[in-house]
Formats: sequence, C-alpha cells, structure tokens
Amino acid sequence: MNVTVNWLKTYIDFALSPSELADRLTMLGIEVESIKHLGAELAGVVVGKVTTIKPHPNADKLVLCQVDVGEAAALQIVCGAPNVTAGMLAPVATIGTELPNGITIKRAKLRGQESQGMLCSEKELGLAAQLASASGLMELPPTMSIGMPLAQALGLDDVVLELEITPNRPDCLSLIGVAREIRAETGNALKLPQVNLQEDETDIREMTAVTIDAPELCPRYAARVIRGVKVGKSPAWLQQRLESVGVGVINNIVDVTNFVLMEYGQPLHAFDYHKLADVKHGLANGALRRIVVRRAAEGEQLKTLDEVEHKLTSDMLVIADAEKPVALAGIMGGYDSEITAATCDVLLESAYFQPSSIRATAKALGMNTEASYRFERGADPGTVLPALDRGAQLIAELAGGTLCAGSVDVYPGQQPLVQLQLRPERVNFVLGTALEATEMDAILNRLGFHVKATDGEYQVTVPTFRSDVTREIDLIEEIARVYGYDNIPTTLPRGDIPVPAPEPRTEVRKRIKHFLLASGMMEAVNYSFCHPNCFEKIRLNKNNPLREALQLRNPLSPEMSILRTTLLPSLLENAQHNRNHQIDDIALFEMSTVFLVGGTSRPDSPVKEPERVAGILAGEIGGGVYGNPYRCPDFFDIKGVVEGILEVCGMTDYTIQQTAEPTFHPGRNAEVLLADRRLGIFGEAHPRVLENYALPYKAYLFEFDVEALVGTAEFSKRFEPIPIYPNVQRDLAIVVDADVLSDIPMALIYATGGTLVESVRLFDVYLGDQVPAGKKSLAYTITYHSATETLTDKAVNALHDRVVKRLNCELGAELRM
Amino acid sequence: MKAELEAIQAEALEALKAVKTPDALESLRITYFGRRGKLTDVMKGMGTLSKAERPAIGKLANEVRTTLTQAFEKATEALHHQQQAQQLEAESVDITLPGRKPAYGKAHPVMQTLERIEAIFSQMGFQVATGPEVEMEYYNFDALNTPADHPARDLHDTFYLEARGWKQHPQEEGEDARSERLLRTHTSPVQIRVMENQKPPVRIIVPGKAYRVDYDVSHTPMFHQVEGLLVDTHATFSELKGVLASFVRQMFGEQTQMRFRPHFFPFTEPSAEIDISCTVCQGKGCRSCGHTGWIEILGAGSVDPEVFHAVNYNPAEVTGFAFGMGVERIANLQFRIPDIRTFYENDLRFLRQF
Ligand SMILES: [Zn+2]
Repeated sequence: MNVTVNWLKTYIDFALSPSELADRLTMLGIEVESIKHLGAELAGVVVGKVTTIKPHPNADKLVLCQVDVGEAAALQIVCGAPNVTAGMLAPVATIGTELPNGITIKRAKLRGQESQGMLCSEKELGLAAQLASASGLMELPPTMSIGMPLAQALGLDDVVLELEITPNRPDCLSLIGVAREIRAETGNALKLPQVNLQEDETDIREMTAVTIDAPELCPRYAARVIRGVKVGKSPAWLQQRLESVGVGVINNIVDVTNFVLMEYGQPLHAFDYHKLADVKHGLANGALRRIVVRRAAEGEQLKTLDEVEHKLTSDMLVIADAEKPVALAGIMGGYDSEITAATCDVLLESAYFQPSSIRATAKALGMNTEASYRFERGADPGTVLPALDRGAQLIAELAGGTLCAGSVDVYPGQQPLVQLQLRPERVNFVLGTALEATEMDAILNRLGFHVKATDGEYQVTVPTFRSDVTREIDLIEEIARVYGYDNIPTTLPRGDIPVPAPEPRTEVRKRIKHFLLASGMMEAVNYSFCHPNCFEKIRLNKNNPLREALQLRNPLSPEMSILRTTLLPSLLENAQHNRNHQIDDIALFEMSTVFLVGGTSRPDSPVKEPERVAGILAGEIGGGVYGNPYRCPDFFDIKGVVEGILEVCGMTDYTIQQTAEPTFHPGRNAEVLLADRRLGIFGEAHPRVLENYALPYKAYLFEFDVEALVGTAEFSKRFEPIPIYPNVQRDLAIVVDADVLSDIPMALIYATGGTLVESVRLFDVYLGDQVPAGKKSLAYTITYHSATETLTDKAVNALHDRVVKRLNCELGAELRM
Repeated sequence: MKAELEAIQAEALEALKAVKTPDALESLRITYFGRRGKLTDVMKGMGTLSKAERPAIGKLANEVRTTLTQAFEKATEALHHQQQAQQLEAESVDITLPGRKPAYGKAHPVMQTLERIEAIFSQMGFQVATGPEVEMEYYNFDALNTPADHPARDLHDTFYLEARGWKQHPQEEGEDARSERLLRTHTSPVQIRVMENQKPPVRIIVPGKAYRVDYDVSHTPMFHQVEGLLVDTHATFSELKGVLASFVRQMFGEQTQMRFRPHFFPFTEPSAEIDISCTVCQGKGCRSCGHTGWIEILGAGSVDPEVFHAVNYNPAEVTGFAFGMGVERIANLQFRIPDIRTFYENDLRFLRQF
C-alpha cells in the first residue's frame, strides 16, 4: 500500500525526514519497500508565462516566444506547438533539465534562432496518464505563480512510501492506521478528520430500510442517502491525493469512496438510489428502497462493475434490493446500480463483512479488489459509522446535494470489546527483558489500547481496529515491537543440550559424497520435477514400478509436472546441457530423495521418499593436456566408482551380476546384490538412450539405493596384524575359453590356496593371434603368504602346482608359456 | 727407493688431475694399484731392502699408498659429482608444462553453503532433523497456526499433487479421497513432526528442500531452507537474538551488523525478520540492498502458543523460538549470481567455479 508524507501529516505531526520515517516504520514492522519523490522527475521544470510571440524568420511552423520564468531576463524559446498563445502559462524545461523521456535540454539554435529552454506538453513531462488533455502545450491555470517549480505548483512535491503490510495488520491498510503507528513511535497526538454533517429534514428511514438476512456473514451494515448530487470531476486536491498513491480518478462520488477507503481503511460503496428497485407495496415505515443483505440463491446472476457476469452460489453474500442482487458484498458493486453522470441521489453503504466469507467468494470468482483485500483481512466494525459520515460529508461538499437525517445502522453482530489480562513478569520472561510495568502501560496506550491496573494485574481493552490482538502473547509482541527489538538483550541459550541419537544415514551419505568428490565427479543438484516422457527416454520396462510417479496438479510446465522416481533422467539431461555447450568431460553425481508411490516408509504417508545416489561419466575423462590426455571412459570406470562406493560403506559380501535393464547396453550392465536385495545398478547407457538425449558419445551411469546402503553399511573395524613374514609372488598366465568370466579362475585360485593366498590380481587379458581362436589368455599375479612362517620356495611351488592343476582340471586352462 | 716412491706419488697426483672420465680413472688406478701396478711393484720390492732401511721406507711406502688412495677416492667422488651435475642439467624440464592434476570434484555451491550453516548450528548443539517433502496440509499449514482461510496462505504459492486418496489429518483413520497432498512450502512442518515425537528440550535444525510456484531470476520452484527450533522451559526472545547473532558472526564475519525487524509469521509471536548489513556495500547502500544498506536473510520468532497446543506441549510450561532461512539466498550473498536458476542447470563451467 502507498501513503504520502504530506497526506500522513494531515493526521499527525512529525518532524522526521522521509527516510527517517521510512526507517522508523520499518523498525515497527511496516516495511517500507520504496521511497519515491513525486516531483523528482520534474526538477528543472518551472511555471513560465509566454509574454510575446513572433514568427520564426526561417520556419513557417515555428514561432519565437519570450517567456517570463520569474527572472530578470525573459527566455527566448522556439516553439512549434499549435496551441501556444501570448499570455498563457505553460511548463518550461530550463537549460540542463533532463525530462522523464530522457531528453536533456541544451542551449540550442533551431533553424538559426537561439532557444533557451523548452515549452512542454503533458506527455513530455510524463504527466499524460495523470491529467488527460489534448496534444500541444500543457496549459497551466493563470493563478499559478510564475517561476515556481512545476512539481510544487502541481502539488507534486510529496514523497510516496510504498509499504508492505503483513496480513495480520489490516488496520494499517489506511492512512489513519499508519498515523496511529507513528503515534506509537513519536507519542504525538492523532488529528482525526472533523466531521460536521448538514442534514435536511427527511428522515433516512423514509428513504430506505436495511435487512440483514445473513448476520453470520454481515455483522454490521450502515447506510446514508445524499440527494441532489451533481456527478462530475473531483477537485484538484482530491485527484492529486488519489493519484499520488496510485488510485485512479473516476468521478467525485466514487473518488470520495476511494479517498475514505485510503483514509480509514473502510471500503464504502455508492449506489445510484434510483436504480435500486422501488418497493411497490410500501414498507411499514414508509421507506422507498430496501437493502437486503443475504446469501445469493444458487445460480443467481450478477453483473459487476467490471462488466463480468457472475453465477453465484449460496456461500456468497450479496447486497440486494427488493428484487435482485445489486452488489457482491465487500468485493464489487453491481453494474446496473453504478454511479453515472446522470445519478442524482446516492445511497452510501458502509459495512463490516465476515473475513473468511469474503475471502472464499473473492477466491472462487477470481476477484481481488481494494475492498475485498481489506474485508478478507478484517476491517474494523468500529469504523463503519465514522467512515460513512466522513464519506457523506465529502460527497455533500464536493458534489452538492443534501443529506437525509440520520443513518441506518443494523448491527446484529456487535461484540463486547476484547479484554485481556497482561502479566508484566510474563512479558519479561518471554522477551528476556527487564521492563517496568509502567513502560508497558505507556506503550500500549500509545497504540490505542486501554490499560487498567489493579494490584499488579493489568486488564487491557483491545480497540476494535486491532482484531489481530486476541491473546496475552499478542500484547507482548506489541510491547516488544514498540520498545524496539534492537533494545532487547542478546543472550545465549541456557538450557540443556539434548543428546543426539546415532545417525548411520549421515555417515553413509558423507562417506559416499566424499568418495565421489575425491574420484573427480562434480555434485549436481536438480529439481525434483521431471517430464513424464523421461521414463520412455530411459527405456524403462512397461511394468517397471518406477513409471508410477506422483503428478502435480498445478505444474509450472510439462517438463516439471511429475516427481522423480529415479535420478538418471536428470543426470542425462545435465549431460545433454553440457554437451550442447561444448563441455565434454562430463562426470556428475547427485544425491537426492526420489518419490515413490504405494510404499509405507512413513506410516502416515502413502508416499515413499527414499534417497538415491546416481552418477554419470560421459565424453572424456582425464586432464586433456600434454602428459595427461583425454580418454574415453568405459564400463570399468563406472564399475570402479561403484566398487569404491561399496568399499567406503564397508561392504564386502555383495555380488555383481549381469542384469537386463533396457536403459543399458545389453552386454554392459550389472546390478549389485546383497543377498537378494538390489543395492544398485550400473552400466553403459543403451545407444537409443544416448540418442534420446542427443549424446554423441557413450555414457556410463550408476544409481544406488542409499536406504539399502544405510541398512547394510558396516563401519566397525578391527585391527588385522601387519604381515611379519615375507610374501612370495608368482605370475600365472592361462589360456581358457573366451567366454570364461575372469572371476571364475580367480575364485578357483582362492579356493585352492586357502589362507595361504593373500591376493590375486588380474593384470592382463589377451585375445588375438597369440592364442587359438575362441580362447583368451588371462594373466594373474598371485601373492602367497603365511601368517605363521616364512614360506619356502618348495612349499610355494607345490601350492602353485596345485593351483595350476585345478585350473586345468576344472576349466581346461592351459599354461601360457 | 725413497726417490722412486716420491716420484710415483708426484707422477700419480699429476696424472689424476688430467683424468676426465671414469674409464681413464680406472685405468690410472690399475697403472698404480693393479697387480702389475707401479706402486704394487715397489711394494713387492720391499723384501730386497735391508733391515735398517725397511722401517723408514716401509713407513714412507704406506704414507704414499694412503695419500694416493685418498687422492683416487677424492677423484672418484669429484668425477661422480661432475657426472651427476651433467646428468641433472640434461634432465631439466620445462616447468611451464601442465601438471598432472588428480581429478577431484566439488560439492554443489548450495550444498557447500548448507553444510556451513549446519556446521555452525551443530556447534551450538542443534541436531539435524528431516521430514517428508510431500506433506499433508495439516503439517504444512494448520498445525503451524495457518488455517485454510488464513490470508497468510496466499504468501505461499503451493504445489498440490493430483489426488490419490490421502488422509487429511494424522489422527484420521484410513485415507480420504478429498484431502490434499502438497509439496511442503517450507521445512517448518518438521518442527511439528519432531515435537509430536519428542519431549522438550528440543534443539534441532531442519535442512532440506522446499517448493513454491515461482520461477524468475530470484526464485526457483525448488529451493533449500534451514529451519531451526529450540524449545525449553525458559527459552526467551533474547536467546533467539543470541543464537542468530552467533550465526551471523560466524557465517558472515565479525564486522557484519545485524538487526531484528518486527514481522508476521502465523507460527511465531513475536515474529521478526533479520537483516544483515549489505555484504556488497558494507551498509552504505547500493543496488543489491535497494539502497537501504540492509539485506534480509532470516525469518524468526518465539514459538506461537497455538503451535504448542497442536503438539500437546503446554505453553504455560515451555517456551521456544524458531527461525528459518533460504540457503540459495545466503549462498548468493557470497556468489552474487544474477539469475539464481543457474544453480540448477548443473553447467560444469558453473559448478567448477565454486
Ligand atoms: Zn548494499
């Protein structure tokens, strides 16, 4: 909401500069988002009087003007505007002025004649939006004083503060409300508008009656009638006030309602009295019009001021005349009863509506008006009459007309004032302060609360405009706010520190992340959303449960419309993004929750949110420099990463076996199993997956179930003696059938050597001319070692021979010489 | 014989000076010390000396032998050093050639910031707690004193999930087809979940993802928050100030100023927003801080009694405070990325910068 300094000063005196005021309000909880000096754009523009006009010697369409700007010498200004006349007052942009459109006025010669400034139009001054007028020079009233800065002459020398009012403070959605906050800060007195009504003889009750059929939605409804008004333009002061805070000008009647809305925060609505249905069968008290506040009939129609036809429901409150709805209560008036140039009698409404009902209706109809904004946050039932009277007075003043005697005020929902108990020691306990009760009392008084002290007990009466204050804690906040948060001491917590339960998850996550970072992979973080086509793109089986994803009802875009069930599509997209930007050394991982349906990880939620860690290697790895050239990653790079993850989690009993996930190359993929549980999968992306992500090179992927690792990780370690006796190493190259997996001979070696085989390392695999077709050569280094003695050559040879024999016997392996 | 020995010594020492290669040195050694060497020959001739001559000549012979042996050792060593020097010279490399840097990865900048925040609060005894990202309206709003018709709900543009038949309230039996699931708009619901399951004192932080329907240069639909909660029998607003002052000092440095501004959150009362002096202009005022010299980094306040009611804590017996901050925002005070959506593109040129 916008307020201006000059306008505020009509309600309270204060000696603060605009920036000081902004600072104080901000520290009271009314954040000032911007400070705008209204006339700032008009600096250098003054009121000038065109004294004489001569033709331009070299141009037909230009004239030479002598312009008095209140200085000793008149200025010669070349002008081409059709409406320039001698004696007129017009804005003059003096030399050096920068106009709002960016043009800087310089001393210049136009067709050989010197021009010492520029006579301006509204448009050139950026005023067209405010003061509509024909093209040509802006004509200023002859009463303006010559030489005065234009901003001042137009009443634009004001400062606009843009305020952010929090939802709990509807009372501050008004100038008077903000003035009350300034009172709390400065202690200065409030100057409320003096309302002095000139009423005629006709009793309002002869003009109108009000019935509230839905008191639960409308606790108070009041009205006045003003007759014989003349609808027209508002006076300049009123237009300026409204425009300065960004409210559009319409006509004197509507402008008054908007002015009072800004002043008191109370929305008023003006009906054209004669467009309300006549009561044919006269009411008991003789009234001619009847206002009924009721729920709309289901399906009832109403065309509002914005010319939109609404179909209403019985949850919605309307203001009706004797026949039909004439306004959507608290939101917008009806089109058919609006004020027009022909209006002569006005029925002015001021009411209090139940906030949640207004909110629900406005939301259902997609409407948001100044009125609904205030009613749904909570207007002040206590302001209904003062605002009505103020509005009626202004209408009578500005539009002529006379006021019927009295007002109708139906108030079925009147509540006693809220009384709260305040314990000063509780205030200090909650805040950590040592305030005197008298200080608290003074603060609450300045905020408009009434405090009564009896034996150290404080009884606080809450004013009607503070509907947000309902509890002692709310009073404590008020005291803290005005006392100043910065004045509250800064201390450290004194309480016990709770002892944490052990958290294996943290350890597993930390270890995996450290390992992946140390192995050269960058951490990615992706949105939890993805496109529903991602499952197709990574070729998941039709019956893969990962295809069942949660859908957003209001997604930002199709690309962000479901929640991820796997991290792989995001990483493939990241690879694609980088490839598109010529970055080809792609090594990324991500650790994040995914969203699975139908599980029961938390008893109260049908959504499972297990954590996953996934990674991608693609393009090239290595430094790409002399001495460390790029190379393409392969299956065994990703397998190494997978084995590293398992190692840092202390896992040893797992098996890695080929699987058949269509995401991967059918001969280059595997799963990691612990007993029968799948911990993760990895492999080379299927060529069609690469095509789907427009990757021109192979990509290697892994994805692990962090939950499974948390459950099985083993971090406890026991010392193993460092070998005392020397190792004996023997190399062994064997030729076996090409389809023998490399870990089969290895397992046989271990099995044969028992505890005497410390390690077996595969150091070469060879297929080619040197071995027969259909065969391959595998070369191992076997390390023999005994924990109890130095192994003799003889003993090692015997053992090694047994190994060779067993390989030959079980695999037909021949020694390769 | 004496003269002969002296001549050999002089001749050998002279010859050593001219030696330039290990081979030459070796042949010279053989010339004197070999089986047929000159010194060997003289030593062999010692037997022909008279008894009277023998001690003196013998002594001299040993002296010559020692002198020459040492001279040969010295020459050997000198030659070795000389050769080593030549080799080292030949081996010098162009040190401007690239180093073979081991590949290493970097944590995502938002995660780096998150970890720093976690570390600071864990020093103050706050433990990490987590909770689901797909939430019930109850935990995200109602239990946090934000009922359905509360205008504060407008401040959160919430992502809702397509209905699957969920239950609305944790105490409800079974699932309700009408009720809503949403993506949590803040990490605050974890406060409720923790208090429901734990007696005071509570001292937790909740790092995690949160979601709002928002997508522009300063908003991403998914972002990270760290929520904090302390509940005890005598937690005060002044302690909230103390905890956050410690955090600000450690996170942003000793010179950084902090101010508490009254604000509104449904689940805290009194509520505050916390500003720090602008890290760009040090509080003088610049474009980053909207010329105010201050930058908002945190929301906080004393726990509202309604929240305690929701978790069956007695507000007469316990007090507490909570705070929450956006991790991207804090990260960006340091990184100054003009469009924070860049965080989630995972462009390697970006990730490698941090
Ligand atoms: Zn700044």
